[in-house]
Amino acid sequence: MIRLRCLLLLLALPAIARADGQWVLERSTLAYHVSHPLHDTDGVSHAARGKAVCRSGECEVLVAAPVKSFDSGDSNRDLHMVQVVDGARYPLVSVRLRAPEAKDSAEIHCDLQIEFAGKTATYPQVPFTVTDEGGERRISGTIPAKLSDFGIPPPSLLAVPVKDDMPIRVDMVWKPA
Amino acid sequence: MTMKDFRKTLRKFVVAALFLTLAPVLRADSDEMRFLPSLQAALEPFADPGSQSAPPETPPPPETPPPEPSQPSLQDLGFTPEQQVGSVEKQALLDKRTRMLKIHQRLGLITIIPFVATLATAGGAKEHEGGSSQRNLHAALGLVTAAMYIATASYAIRAPKIEGMRTRGQIRWHKALAWVHGVGMVLTPILGAMARNQLDNGEKVHGIAKAHSTVAAITVAAYAAAIATVAIKF
Repeated sequence: MIRLRCLLLLLALPAIARADGQWVLERSTLAYHVSHPLHDTDGVSHAARGKAVCRSGECEVLVAAPVKSFDSGDSNRDLHMVQVVDGARYPLVSVRLRAPEAKDSAEIHCDLQIEFAGKTATYPQVPFTVTDEGGERRISGTIPAKLSDFGIPPPSLLAVPVKDDMPIRVDMVWKPA
Repeated sequence: MTMKDFRKTLRKFVVAALFLTLAPVLRADSDEMRFLPSLQAALEPFADPGSQSAPPETPPPPETPPPEPSQPSLQDLGFTPEQQVGSVEKQALLDKRTRMLKIHQRLGLITIIPFVATLATAGGAKEHEGGSSQRNLHAALGLVTAAMYIATASYAIRAPKIEGMRTRGQIRWHKALAWVHGVGMVLTPILGAMARNQLDNGEKVHGIAKAHSTVAAITVAAYAAAIATVAIKF
């Protein structure tokens, strides 16, 4: 009888240990913003891929996008951006975070870790809005990133550098895997 | 001033203009000079021992520790190892491109100075008003402008091209306008020299040479517009 119970327990272990659920990034918009006295620029990417593994009400999330996928509407500026952020050496920008698995619409705060330009920066308690959209989850917010967080020298136009602030607007729609 | 004196002065101006123009060119290309490896080898004994490390062939690994088994990885997202690994060679090409385009930008702005000076002296070079010395000054400034212009353009033309890159945005206007002011920069001095010859021979400026000032004005307008296309977002 004891052997049978042990066997049943062993068989049940993988089911207990298995993840509560997984989510994949369905579509997304990531946009960085840089500001120069002559004009402001937004570089947008829709090429991010993401996966979230949820366990006990908490999700481990990874989102990554190719650096060259950001489009500011000007090919020369985009190439310069890739150069200045060492995008050929470090072709991906990735974001890791741990977030509570929100059941309904809510505001959540996450600790983010961004790997970009060969450097890693941490952003504590970044607020995001979670919206339930018929089984899919929309997560949106803004990461208060700065060029100096990644040791990126501010690019200049006509000898005037851009501002250090580089907020990244995030709008992602996730679906259950 | 006789024609001989004029030629002598003109020659001095051309030499000075070439010197001014080529100085930054030579300095910028110095990192590509063939003697550099031998110079580095010669200086090696004097170098700081701590700094004698070979450049990395592959990018250094990221600072973050590897993800825990429960965390999703880049492979989980479908990124192949090739997509994750960067290229030092491609980065070097981008760096060189940016370096050359920065010099292009800087020289382009400096070229505005002789451009404006040439325009400012144009009034004094006209047939009814101008004396020989004023025409010489105008011609010399025009030559300095042309030399600076050629140096500026050469950096944009010689900058490495990136494969698979499709030109998008305002840079298209910048490139299109280069054809306008490029042709203008060839025609303007030719027409100017023709006009000058006619005046020196005691003739009124006639024929195609009459278009000198109009072509110059179009060239300046196209040049200013080309700068505006990269400086101002429309």
